[in-house]
Amino acid sequence: MKLQDPRPSKWLLFRIWASVGLQSFGGGASTTFLIQRAFIEKHRWLSMEEFMYFWNLCVLTPGINLVALTVLIGKKLGGVWGIVVSLAGLLLPSAAITCLLAATFLQVENVAAVQAVLRGVIPATGGIMLIVGLNFALPLIRRSYKEGVLYLLASGVLMIACALAIILLKLSVIIVILGAILLGALFFSPGRGSPVPEDEEEQGEQQ
Amino acid sequence: MINPLIYFLLFLKASLFSTGGFSNLPSLHQDLLANGWAKESYFGQSIAIGQISPGPNGLWVISLGYFTYGIAGAALALIAITLPALLVLVISAGYTRIEQRTWVQGAMHGVSLAVVGLLLSVVWTILHQPGVDWKGLLIAVGAFGLALSRKVNILIILGLAGLAGYLLYR
Repeated sequence: MKLQDPRPSKWLLFRIWASVGLQSFGGGASTTFLIQRAFIEKHRWLSMEEFMYFWNLCVLTPGINLVALTVLIGKKLGGVWGIVVSLAGLLLPSAAITCLLAATFLQVENVAAVQAVLRGVIPATGGIMLIVGLNFALPLIRRSYKEGVLYLLASGVLMIACALAIILLKLSVIIVILGAILLGALFFSPGRGSPVPEDEEEQGEQQ
Repeated sequence: MINPLIYFLLFLKASLFSTGGFSNLPSLHQDLLANGWAKESYFGQSIAIGQISPGPNGLWVISLGYFTYGIAGAALALIAITLPALLVLVISAGYTRIEQRTWVQGAMHGVSLAVVGLLLSVVWTILHQPGVDWKGLLIAVGAFGLALSRKVNILIILGLAGLAGYLLYR
């Protein structure tokens, strides 16, 4: 596929990102889809390979992957100002609407009907969140399975241990993540032999 | 009284040590409640509003900011979720040099597992809100099933859940 010269005007860039932001309901997947359609298919400023490479870097970046992706695409298409207008386009209109919805909610919060509706919506968000977790977990489980049953088992134990460390032990999130980085580097590095016995994982969580 | 600087740093810390839009929840949940700056109910409500409003999932934090500290809170939250993303520039510059090291790959596997664990704790937090009873849990299971099928739009699922709430709890 022949790429077009990636030098869009800042105003055009802003408008594209704003439309991506405003059209993406229901989060991540639809946003990613809209970005691919706008930048790869419609305007041909990016190749799919480039997009995948960007995405891998974003997974390693803290915070919201899509925001990091916006930074990388913005930089490629317009340098520092490209980053600024892309972030502004993706975030500001959507954030303004979020504020508006939150403000509206505070006005009607005490209406009995709203309370009742919310008591239905909140547990539903829990169910949806479980899907988000599942989406993250599946590729990990698949990769672990390829490494062997012990590796898979150890991965599962670490996963559950992290959840329990927060729910039951009320450990700070940072400690849990740092613990997982350490345990991962020690025991999940390729070519380091078989993974850890379970009791060592527990220890790591209690540090 | 909310101290704006500490408030911002709490949001920034939560964002720096998260991946994806929701894994900053446990950290914010711990810190804001410990300081008495948020009510338990804000978290479920913010996530619900985040799901309804456009933009990446992670914008639920904007609504948490608004509930806890008004427009200033929303603005601080927005900055706090934007700044860590800029680190991608550093990572992009440095990653090619270390990606082959085995410990990096192992550490990444560990982080990814922790992220899933954190999400599970988020689910637990949401389903542990006051007001979620067995009927609420059934709604959660229903929403999970509908979302799993990938055939139903999230907004429709939330709409159905709202309708169920209206009929069950009115």
